[in-house]
Amino acid sequence: MIIVVPLNLVPDLVEDLEVDGSGAALETDGLKFKLNEFDDHALEEALLIKDSDQAQVLALALDTENIDKVLFTALAKGADRAVKITGADAAASSRALGSVFAEAARQLDADLVLTGVQSVADLEGQLGPAVAAALQAPFIGVVTNITVAGAGVAVRKEYASGITADFEMDLPAVIGVQAARQTPRYAPVSKVRQIQDSATLEELSITPGAGGAQVSISAMAHPERGEGAKNAVGYRRTGAGA
Amino acid sequence: MLSLAERLAFGWLVIVCLYYAQIGFVQMIRIIRQGAAAQRSDNLIRRFALALAIVGLQLPLFKIRPIVSIFHAFIFFGFSFYILVNVNDMLEAYIHGWTTLGRDSLLLGGFNLLADLFSIFVLVGMLFFLARRFLAKPKVLEFNDNVLLHPDVRQGGIRFDSLVVGVFILLHVGSRWLGTAFALAGEGISDPSLPTASIVAGFLVGASPEALELGRHICWWLAMGLIVVFLPYFPRSKHLHIMVAPVNLALNRRTPKGAMDSVADAANPGAKDITDLPWPQVLDAYACIMCTRCHEVCPAHESGTPLSPSALEINKRYMLRSGGVAADGIIDLPSLLEGAISEDAVWACTACYACVDVCPVGNEPLMDILAIRRRLVFDAAMPDELATVLKSVDEQGNSFGESARRRPNWTKSLDFEIKDAAKEPVEYLWFVGDFASFNESCQEVSRNVARVLQAAGVDFGILGKAEKTAGNDIRRVGEEGLFEALAEDNIKTLEGCDFKKIFTTDPHTFNALKNEYPALGGEYEVVHYSTLLLELLQSGQISITKPVEAKVTYHDPCYLGRYNGIYEAPREVMRLCGVDLVEMPRNREKSFCCGAGGGRIWMPDHEDMTQRPSENRIDEAVALGGVTYFTVACPKDMTMYSDAVKTSGHEADMAVRDIVDFVVQAMELPQGEALAANV
Repeated sequence: MIIVVPLNLVPDLVEDLEVDGSGAALETDGLKFKLNEFDDHALEEALLIKDSDQAQVLALALDTENIDKVLFTALAKGADRAVKITGADAAASSRALGSVFAEAARQLDADLVLTGVQSVADLEGQLGPAVAAALQAPFIGVVTNITVAGAGVAVRKEYASGITADFEMDLPAVIGVQAARQTPRYAPVSKVRQIQDSATLEELSITPGAGGAQVSISAMAHPERGEGAKNAVGYRRTGAGA
Repeated sequence: MLSLAERLAFGWLVIVCLYYAQIGFVQMIRIIRQGAAAQRSDNLIRRFALALAIVGLQLPLFKIRPIVSIFHAFIFFGFSFYILVNVNDMLEAYIHGWTTLGRDSLLLGGFNLLADLFSIFVLVGMLFFLARRFLAKPKVLEFNDNVLLHPDVRQGGIRFDSLVVGVFILLHVGSRWLGTAFALAGEGISDPSLPTASIVAGFLVGASPEALELGRHICWWLAMGLIVVFLPYFPRSKHLHIMVAPVNLALNRRTPKGAMDSVADAANPGAKDITDLPWPQVLDAYACIMCTRCHEVCPAHESGTPLSPSALEINKRYMLRSGGVAADGIIDLPSLLEGAISEDAVWACTACYACVDVCPVGNEPLMDILAIRRRLVFDAAMPDELATVLKSVDEQGNSFGESARRRPNWTKSLDFEIKDAAKEPVEYLWFVGDFASFNESCQEVSRNVARVLQAAGVDFGILGKAEKTAGNDIRRVGEEGLFEALAEDNIKTLEGCDFKKIFTTDPHTFNALKNEYPALGGEYEVVHYSTLLLELLQSGQISITKPVEAKVTYHDPCYLGRYNGIYEAPREVMRLCGVDLVEMPRNREKSFCCGAGGGRIWMPDHEDMTQRPSENRIDEAVALGGVTYFTVACPKDMTMYSDAVKTSGHEADMAVRDIVDFVVQAMELPQGEALAANV
């Protein structure tokens, strides 16, 4: 079984996000990117499947700044191959990226595509469904457990108030992972460095299709700040945020 | 004295026993040689001369347990003199007419007197130790219930070994002493140079000459024959320490205590099996006398966790002596985590160095633990909380998961600007460290340091967002790659700066910069702020206008004291500020770790923990009576003890202060709110 896991970089919220001069995009100066946490869980779930059943795990990412470290880290954790997609715009919409990843998955003979269920840049979790749509494959999101079952996979999906449901899916399939069965494994820096010296990242050139109707951002803004709550005992904390 | 038959029999006994002893010793050397490489062959003569000198003076023992150490010294001096006694007894047995008894010679009389008195010393010392182990049974000899122990140890192996060695010594020395009494009585000699043997001889007068002669022979065989019979048992026995301890001390690490060895085999870093350890750490297992001093001073063992550095060495020792080692010395043993120390014990270590510092035979259990951690982290096996911190250090350069941009935010409430050392030249580059930058209770201390230096006219600056954590504790949790990456980044940053010296308030940062960065190409003059403050006080750059009246005690940070030998500078700073400093019983090199070191500050307490080390320490300070301030010189201590005074219910009795707080007060500088509220 070939499992493809698209890894996406998202803004690191440890930094303050600012809107740039155009008023319709984030200020990139000072913005730091990190791997989407849910994608890390998707990768972990893929590696767990590999640990228990025969599977080949492919880490996939768009060719952006700092992506090499993310892909080498995936290799250090146990991914079999790491593939960089060139020719696509990382800032494109989830729907556009969905087609790109789907095309990559097709070319890589993916049986299973595991995406993070959402990301800070895709709170509505469109990427997984978009990949599935482009692949014309089934999709289940908010999944917390995936096991190989016959020729397909058995997945557990979470619903509100803790209710879960078990599904069986035929392959190829796309799954949006909410959380892996265990905390994503740690990749020791020395191992990542060793991999960096010995392994190579594959490249795959994909030209995004024309696509249909598009959306565009017209304005971005921080929420307006209210007066805030007053302290009942009259004690006013000073120095906070100073 | 011996008959021909006896002489022949003894000769054969020596040959047979030496043969079997040799097998054990050769095996031991084979095993030790399978340890990883370590460079200890420099200055061999000096090493051994020094080791023999300190062993001769029994210095390594007297760090703790003074009474026990005195009795040990009794036995040691007696046994050392007995080498001469044994030589004499051989001559007496084989050379007709050779005797020291009743001879009119000052030299031989002196020999007799020493032999007589040392016999009593050894017997008294040995009886003391047997009574201590088997009757008094002090708690310090026991292991916490949750400590992993080799099955043989569980079944009383240490007690059995102790009994064998004790009885051997009693019989060996007692028989020699009694034999002298038989000789005196048998030959009717009165010799005042043998006062105690003469008393016993007095009781034997009147027995038949045959009986006296038989007694003398039996005693000779019990004294001398026993040593020979004991030889093959030596490599299996704790008594081996009399041979291995001096060697172990001689071949000890000579690099700075605070500098960990670099990784030798990048594909297999650290240790999984006993043979992955550097050979001197394999030798440690044989040197161990199982005295448990190391776990007596261990904050992890004292607080009820499953870590006993003593058990680690003892388990290694029992693993090596109980099977698994083929005749050719090839080892097929359980891994260290299976046989020597449990995984949770490995993570319970605070890397405080107390176990290494106190060990009378020069063992380094801490280094084993750090090696095991290295392998665990390389295999990504660690507590989740630790993995989270390591990730954040990798991503943000600090352990708080904060944006690097916020690192200098603590300076914003100062009424002056601190220079950016990354942009302009400074005399002192202040490497602030994570806790002093991000932790709220430490930030006010950092501001006080800034205020004092500003008032003293010191030219200093910080790196701001360009600084990353120095990585001292990152290295000690075993993340060698991350430590190297941090060090490389910091060294690169420092290369672009123009400064004369580095100072820091954080002993952990101090240790890494001073002792570990040089190996990676970063050589700087690094001072701890306590040293800098003292210089400023002594040179008059800081002038005290209002001495502080307070009774205070001071806690020595592990990485300032034990690791780097700085004990007096912080004390002197406090005294110059006028405070009345009283010492806790565990001070200076005996200081008791707060429990935060070795990355413990990032991990949850072990579920078996009975009392946090920091609370134990606060109890110690409270017991002094009337101490109002518990003083620290380490940001981690500030957070640990600020919590501990609260959780131990002593918030009303005692407050935690940093040494610089007294300087601010004594200089009458405007202070921050927290301090002002406290005074």
